[in-house]
Amino acid sequence: MTRFSHFQNIVAGVAIAMVGLSVCVISFVQEPAEAYLFPRLISVVFAALSVWTAAKAFSGHSNSSNGLSEKELANIAPGLVAALIYIFLAAETLGFYTASTIAFFAVYSIYDTASHRELRSWGKRIVLTALFIAVMYGLFAKVLTVFTPREFFQ
Amino acid sequence: MEFIGYLGDVFTPFNFGLLMIGTFGGLILGATPGLSPTMTVALLIPFTFRLEATEGLILLGAAYTSTVAGGAVSAILLNIPGAPANIATTLDGYKMAKNGHGARALQLSFLSSAAGGVFGVLLLIFLTPILARWALAFGPSHIFWLAILGITVIGTLEAGSVVKGLLSGCIGLWLSTIGFDDIMGEQRFIFHSSLSGGINVIPALIGLFAIPQVISIFAKGRADSGTEILSVERHPISEAVREVARRYRALSLGAVVGSIVGLIPGIGGQIAGIVAYDQSKKISREKEKYGTGHSEGLIAAESANNAMVGPSLVPLLTLSIPGSPTAAVLLGGLLIHGIFPGSDLFENHPAVAWTFINSMLVGQILMCIFGLYIAALAARVVLAPPSFMAAAVLGLAVFGSYSVYNSMDDVYVMLMLGTAMYFLEKFGFSAAPLVLGLILGPIAEANFIQGSLIANATSSVVEYFLTGALNLCLISMVAVSLLYSVWSEIANGRNPVASGNGRARP
Amino acid sequence: MKKLLAAAAIALTSLAGAAVADGHENYPERPILLMISYGAGGATDFQARIVTMTAGNEDALGMPIAIINKPGAGGRKGWNWFATEADNDGYTLGAYNIPHFIAQSIEGGVDYSADSFEPIANWGADPAVFVVAADSAFNSMNDVIAYATENPGKLTFSGAGLFVGHHIAALQLENAAGVKLAYIPSNKGGAAAMKSVIAGEVLGGVNNLSDAYRAREAGNVKILGVFDNERNDFLPDVPTMKEQGYDIDNSSVNFRGVMVPKGTPQPIIDKLAEIVPAMFENKRVLGKMNAGGSPMHIMTRDEVLEMWKAREATLEKLLAGL
Repeated sequence: MTRFSHFQNIVAGVAIAMVGLSVCVISFVQEPAEAYLFPRLISVVFAALSVWTAAKAFSGHSNSSNGLSEKELANIAPGLVAALIYIFLAAETLGFYTASTIAFFAVYSIYDTASHRELRSWGKRIVLTALFIAVMYGLFAKVLTVFTPREFFQ
Repeated sequence: MEFIGYLGDVFTPFNFGLLMIGTFGGLILGATPGLSPTMTVALLIPFTFRLEATEGLILLGAAYTSTVAGGAVSAILLNIPGAPANIATTLDGYKMAKNGHGARALQLSFLSSAAGGVFGVLLLIFLTPILARWALAFGPSHIFWLAILGITVIGTLEAGSVVKGLLSGCIGLWLSTIGFDDIMGEQRFIFHSSLSGGINVIPALIGLFAIPQVISIFAKGRADSGTEILSVERHPISEAVREVARRYRALSLGAVVGSIVGLIPGIGGQIAGIVAYDQSKKISREKEKYGTGHSEGLIAAESANNAMVGPSLVPLLTLSIPGSPTAAVLLGGLLIHGIFPGSDLFENHPAVAWTFINSMLVGQILMCIFGLYIAALAARVVLAPPSFMAAAVLGLAVFGSYSVYNSMDDVYVMLMLGTAMYFLEKFGFSAAPLVLGLILGPIAEANFIQGSLIANATSSVVEYFLTGALNLCLISMVAVSLLYSVWSEIANGRNPVASGNGRARP
Repeated sequence: MKKLLAAAAIALTSLAGAAVADGHENYPERPILLMISYGAGGATDFQARIVTMTAGNEDALGMPIAIINKPGAGGRKGWNWFATEADNDGYTLGAYNIPHFIAQSIEGGVDYSADSFEPIANWGADPAVFVVAADSAFNSMNDVIAYATENPGKLTFSGAGLFVGHHIAALQLENAAGVKLAYIPSNKGGAAAMKSVIAGEVLGGVNNLSDAYRAREAGNVKILGVFDNERNDFLPDVPTMKEQGYDIDNSSVNFRGVMVPKGTPQPIIDKLAEIVPAMFENKRVLGKMNAGGSPMHIMTRDEVLEMWKAREATLEKLLAGL
């Protein structure tokens, strides 16, 4: 176990313990008691288990995980940012299908192992994106008549 | 044997056509993340307005049957359970597909679904009056203990540590209390306005399973990791049949457990698969293989969740009480034609009742045939480049979680839960127990409160929850399950090889 | 009645003529949503699907109505969404359940009140009834109340939840009979409450007339009384509470209808208020509703506005004691 992963295990353990303890405190502080009876019961178990896990992480006995490497974190960043922008921003401002098209194309292109310089692989990506969105549109808009946020050009 | 007399009605050209459409459409919709059996059946109700009562019910019966089985397709190929019933299917099914055995996994899943499904429908045909009494035997205290039993199963569900399994379950239980509490109507734990509606199970299910997978593809970056599968093994159907026959223990256990649990109103359908998976793991001689792509687990889970289809309709057909959301929608389909289900349904409308049941029986077989046909083709999904899969799974997750209640809040919750789950998985937590906690939390809470209200009015809480044969039986099962978890944690500690590395994603 | 409606329709048509001038003449131009704050398969959902099935006809709206479900917390989730997030352009309708949403807004903790919505028309009225299992020793409300008087607080009876019609009926019964009862709310709606009566988990229950009627047809329950001003056509043999000596009016009757969010353009409200009640009168709709055992009760916008006001007043009084 590297030092970086030991550090990560501690961070994760402490984070979980914080969540567990705060849930426990909130449940006991909030009223009315009847509505918080069940949260109180589970939060005690939650807090106890999370503290136990954190303690194990400190002692280095956490046998289960290696965490993430710096490289993996760097790899995740662009895709995750694209997904966040897609869902929290673009879907409702640009419209559901427009945003999905752009997000699909972006994610596909960022992580595609095929060349970013060749015109042919860009063409393939465009075609596959169009195909995917067409299938989604057919299934959700036409067959299931799901009402999605309207497109910006509508 | 009365049902045989009406079997012919299913095979008239028009009815059989409807059956085919219902089955095939159901498979496809069931395989789409977010479209649970309940939603699919609800979507079909308007079509049945224009049909005769029997025709409409053939369509609904076939669709119900095949959406349950269709959920296994996305569970196996994409690791996204189509509905809560398919959670257990992902545990081994997805690993099999990842190892290049996608075609085999799908074939096994359809064969065991059909076997379990036929068993369940036969129970419905022959034992309805007895089953009806069983379904009524479960009051609030029993359902509470059943939910607790489900929660204790969580700890041993996956290969990782029992403590982290239970902790994952606790996180799920806590998440289930966010939003309005169902009985008092108080708002709890609302940190952000998109949580005011609470966390809905289907969007959460999609996020927790789909998003970690998308991010793990991200994590590999553009570099070709070299672990890709280059071909999907062709798998002869005859061999799949032989394998299912060889695993008859898992198959029959799944069918029996699925039918018994599926009967219980309000809880059964969602946990049938997971309970069967857990039981078959506990009695198996090859415990350590579970969770690595072992066919026994898949067979038990799938035979259980289709076996539940028939029995889950018993309370509806005999007592006019829908025991599950899907049954409630089917009740609408019956009422629209002026048919009131109840103990005299089979005397007053024998043609309708028996044709409906027959359509589920024939539907199971038809579903299996369709499924086997598409298995080889569908399994090629794993050959798609990872970057394409990441984009497609993300898109499907967004569309699927939005369409459940037409709500962007659900999509936000889906993404945030999924992202958090990715990091949690890196530290040995897993999605299946978390989702189970999310599903069982409200059931346990509501039944606990109802039980205590009844108990306070009549006797004492202790007496209500801790006495009676059924309560004691369930409590002892909980105790056994807990002891088993503790014992296996100790055994794990002694044998570090078996404890594994959490949930390693390839 | 028919003549009256025809006259009303003519009057409203001339009113709608006024709408042409201000840009809404082509409404509706695309399909319309109808939000149901209960799950698929529930009574409200089931009835909404039937009464809106003819919306696409040329003589109705000419555009289909699609149902979306936003269930949870006794309807609070859906109505919160409808009051705060739904578009008020006439393309998002909502179904209301009276007395549920008014009672919840009086209780507090929600983002809506009767003033957040504009009613369009009412399609159904489902009174609450008191049911006991078929093998119960109780044969009339007097038996029930006699038991409750002897065993105060021990008569357990189920209902669909807190601050819904069934709960209101339960409170009225307690007040009228002057006894303490043990109301057990269910979290899964009327069906689960009915199951607990049939299974004998509770001694009795308040439930929807339509569901109780079906359960009685199936031989599972006895219906002892109706919480309404007069007997119901589906159950002519069941006496009202008043007939049995309990002073209970129709405050708990579950009225179901269609509404839009506040701020929807008046011409659109007028147009909907004219077309929608007529749409409910469709013969096929009436036939299907009757077949399903769902009592229809069509009311126009003005009648509904009046009914909402009256309910608000009675509920405020009833819930003040809690």
